[in-house]
Amino acid sequence: MMKKFTKEELARYNGKNGAPAYIAYEGKVYDVSNSFLWRNGSHQVLHKAGTDLTDAIKQAPHSIDVLKKFQVVGTMQG
Amino acid sequence: MGKVARELVQRSGVDVDQLVELLVKNAAAELTTYYYYTILRCNLIGLEGEGIKEIAEVARIEDRNHFEALVPRIYELGGKLPEDMKVFHDTSACPPAKLPKNPKDIKAMLTVLVEAERCAERGYTHICNLTAGKDHRTYDLSLAILNEEIEHESWFSEFLGEAPSGHFMRRGETSPFVSKFLK
Repeated sequence: MMKKFTKEELARYNGKNGAPAYIAYEGKVYDVSNSFLWRNGSHQVLHKAGTDLTDAIKQAPHSIDVLKKFQVVGTMQG
Repeated sequence: MGKVARELVQRSGVDVDQLVELLVKNAAAELTTYYYYTILRCNLIGLEGEGIKEIAEVARIEDRNHFEALVPRIYELGGKLPEDMKVFHDTSACPPAKLPKNPKDIKAMLTVLVEAERCAERGYTHICNLTAGKDHRTYDLSLAILNEEIEHESWFSEFLGEAPSGHFMRRGETSPFVSKFLK
């Protein structure tokens, strides 16, 4: 059974101070902790771990295929 | 710093501190790529290596030129490079283009090269998207660099046999797009 995250719970996984870095996209929560591009919970300066990036990814200079390499660790509630 | 230069960008709605941070990270990616490509180029030996050595060298020099072109803009916008070069290295926007375990595996070498270019393309596309219509100088600079990164990717992709690049490697000139920013 996948863990269900609230927005507040997800915010704790911000990649800072040793916390894992999780991001949400279309209801799924991905662990990006081991990604070079998500060091310190930050991606391209503007995007922060612990948040839902569904809208942001649509404007990104890459497709959602990049998420395939990351483990899904849960789903968003609601 | 260009006081008015920075102010104009700020007033156009761009977060200048975030933009400067992005420029510094991409400048770090360029300089570290120049360093790692030096090692890659030195290890392109044998008949197969010789075939891509010159094109790797062009990409290497042009990435160094990208670093040179970015530095003035960072300072114009009120930013600066980190004083510690190790910190600068670690702030890179792209993973280090390290030598593969088997440097004689040309496909592995080309994969490192093409992935480095792809990361750079995404980075400059992002900066272009942020600055289009707002910060004309940074947009112009990022677009120039992006044009060269796209050409780099296409060369390496062609060597990998993925698809035609549509163009031949450069002869004689380097940085056809970025050279206007180099003084």
